[in-house]
Amino acid sequence: MKKKVLSLLLAATMVVSLAACGSGSKKSSSDSAKSATAVNTDTSTLYVNIASEPDYLDPALNSSVDGAILAVNSFVGLLTYDESGELAPALAKEMPEVSDDGLTYTVHMIESKWSDGSELTANDFVYSWNRAVAKETASDYAYLFDVVARNDDGTLAVTADDDYTLTIKLTAPCPYFNQLLAFPIYMPVPQAAVEAANSDGTTPGAWCQEAGFVSNGAFTLSEWKHNESMTYVKNDNYYNADNVKLEKLNYMLSADDTATYAAYNSGDLDFIDSIPTDEIASVKDNDEFHVVDQLGTYYVAFNVGSDLFSGMTADQANAFREAISLLIDRDYIVETVGQTGQVAADSFVPEGMEDGNGEAYESSYYDADETGSAKAEDAIKLLEKAGCEVEDNGDGTYKTTLNGEAISIPYILNENDGHQKVAECIQQDLSVVGIEMTIETEDWNVFLDERKQGNFTFAREGWVADYDDPINMLEIFSSASGNNDPQLGKTDSAAAPDWSGYDELIQKIYAETDTAARAELLHQAEDMLMDTYAVIPIYFYNDVYMQKSNVSGVYSTAFGNKYFMYADKSAK
Amino acid sequence: MLKYIGKRVLLAIVSILIVSAITFFAMNAIPGGPFNKEKATDPAVQAELESRYNLDKPVTTQYVLYMGNLIHGDWGVSLKSGREIWPDITSKFAVSAKLGISAMIFATIIGIVLGSIAALTRNKWPDRLIVFFTTLGTAMPSFVLATLLLLLFCLELKWIPVYNSSNPNYILPIISLSVYPMAYITRLTKTSMLDALNQDYVRTAKAKGVSRVKLIFVHALRNALIPVITYLGPQIAYILTGSMVVENIFTIGGLGSAFVTSITNRDYTTIMAVTIFLAILMVVANLLTDIAYKFTDPRIDFNN
Repeated sequence: MKKKVLSLLLAATMVVSLAACGSGSKKSSSDSAKSATAVNTDTSTLYVNIASEPDYLDPALNSSVDGAILAVNSFVGLLTYDESGELAPALAKEMPEVSDDGLTYTVHMIESKWSDGSELTANDFVYSWNRAVAKETASDYAYLFDVVARNDDGTLAVTADDDYTLTIKLTAPCPYFNQLLAFPIYMPVPQAAVEAANSDGTTPGAWCQEAGFVSNGAFTLSEWKHNESMTYVKNDNYYNADNVKLEKLNYMLSADDTATYAAYNSGDLDFIDSIPTDEIASVKDNDEFHVVDQLGTYYVAFNVGSDLFSGMTADQANAFREAISLLIDRDYIVETVGQTGQVAADSFVPEGMEDGNGEAYESSYYDADETGSAKAEDAIKLLEKAGCEVEDNGDGTYKTTLNGEAISIPYILNENDGHQKVAECIQQDLSVVGIEMTIETEDWNVFLDERKQGNFTFAREGWVADYDDPINMLEIFSSASGNNDPQLGKTDSAAAPDWSGYDELIQKIYAETDTAARAELLHQAEDMLMDTYAVIPIYFYNDVYMQKSNVSGVYSTAFGNKYFMYADKSAK
Repeated sequence: MLKYIGKRVLLAIVSILIVSAITFFAMNAIPGGPFNKEKATDPAVQAELESRYNLDKPVTTQYVLYMGNLIHGDWGVSLKSGREIWPDITSKFAVSAKLGISAMIFATIIGIVLGSIAALTRNKWPDRLIVFFTTLGTAMPSFVLATLLLLLFCLELKWIPVYNSSNPNYILPIISLSVYPMAYITRLTKTSMLDALNQDYVRTAKAKGVSRVKLIFVHALRNALIPVITYLGPQIAYILTGSMVVENIFTIGGLGSAFVTSITNRDYTTIMAVTIFLAILMVVANLLTDIAYKFTDPRIDFNN
């Protein structure tokens, strides 16, 4: 009896504690939906969370978006982005002068200083850029210098005509070169410090692995508690220091949504870059919730060399994949999983990109709002074209078989709530025609390996552009690219599309001197890609963040970079 | 005693060597690699990095090179960030140790006191209450407890900030870390205390008129502590290595999350360094536990 009473008491306590947990989180979220959350009144410091511990602070070695955010706030290049998201001169006096043939850029620089007070000259750029492309630096983004011509000795064709004039020669006209001038890898690094910390050439990033290193941006790192926090202080030598109102910028180093969201709600943080998926519905009407456009596409990809297509012709395999594409209800995914107003994708190149010829790049391959079960009939026709047999079960359901066997498509993804939910939506969509999709969650590192090696049938994918030009989206599918997960041009399967034409197109785009003709070639490349249906766009990304009502002046670019240096914080 | 310690140290070195070899070959056998990224690494860059870190050599050669460097005190650099590993491990260990030791001291003192109370008030309400809470403490996963504490003390009561970079508050992580060992120690103390109280020597001492306080604290408790010490040794090593969950929720730069992250990233050098470091810690903790036996129980003879 006593035991029974005790176990009942125990059960009751657990229920109460669980209920407390539930009501607590609900309360905080409904609070935040209705009224502003607690604010932090320390107006000299902006407290933000972007991500956990960064790998590299060196703008030449960083390859992540969160690292790029740290870079743009502590380094500055010739150009930068202003509050309206437009390119603007930074260390350049004005926008670069471009020769008539588009091959020579001349940049007149302003006089500026490093954070230690030493002069920053054109030679710093010559050094930094050559260092970024050097083999020993092993920078992931070194390829962004491929557009710059080389001298006979292999160095970049970049010269310092005097202390404040820089001449850059390109291999072909590059419509997006000004954007590259604002990219972190094009930012200068202090030669003396870099070389002093890398005596044997094997530690290129060592000069900025602890607080106190020299930089030239709005803030310099004064304290770094690894995996906890980073404190940056205002750099009085920054070229635009007069407009920097903050004294300090503090980053909470955490990737734990629960912790960062709690810190934001308690007023310990002024800005958070990620919101727990479950909380989005409750905060999206809040004034503190912000959505900005991002140039990128969430998509799913088929491996064109997969066994699923064996025995099919290339046309049949395309028809099969097109059927799958039609069956995926993009609007439903956007509304129930994305939840932040993402746009259902009808092309691979995201909405809002420019074509490099002064116009918006526009393409559409199907009506994205009309996909899903409404397209079941069209999908069935395509499946039949692909050699499948589709039987009507008479109760609104179908059974699809291929060579007499039921179809089962394994879909791989990495562990993530959102990706899992998208996978479940697709699974549901395919079940309409009786195609089974199994969901296989993999360890992040294994997942990357499997996709890259082509050890999959169907996979989750995503690509966010580094600069605003469709080539950045399209070149990843050339057969030599390490990002060509669908294995286009990499497999000898008879069911795979012929891909040699695509590689030629990409090379033509690189070399094309006429921007109008180039824009046309970009469309041809995307047409060719979309014809394969190996790449099935789901939605165009957008970027969400939360920012307190007493903070103003923070802005973001379509590549996910956040600029905190001109932020202002009031006491209320 | 010295001979015993010498033998144990030798055995420890062999165990660490075995652990290092198993870890090295196992981590190289699992799929994935340190330079895998969402945006694929350029093959030329990858080749340069692989040659810099000897990853282009056969695994056995890599192991020999690694151990050779380690013997010279070179723990290498992280493949992920290029940072020196040794200063990173020591600074993270300092954080984990500070939290872990505080949590263990807290857990041990409270655990022994509660365990003794429970034993002495067996089947009365204090005992029942203690049993109830220790069951709860053992059953509740640390991430639930940590989240509940965060919710209650940081968001509802607002006694403690969720995040304070200049002056982090360690009270909640210490409580989160100590609840499980505290509950365990309480139960262990209670059981062995009850056992000790029923022993003949306690009855004899009681018959001889030894005071109740002396009886409990000198005669019974001392013997009751042996199982607790057995538990404490490995548990200290375990808790010193940090807890990823607690570190993540309370934003603490400890060894626990560093270890897990290094495995996800296939940061081979960091995986090796942390494993070897933890193996050393574990072996030392076990050795100290065995020596502590000697002082609590004179019957234990190291020579046999």
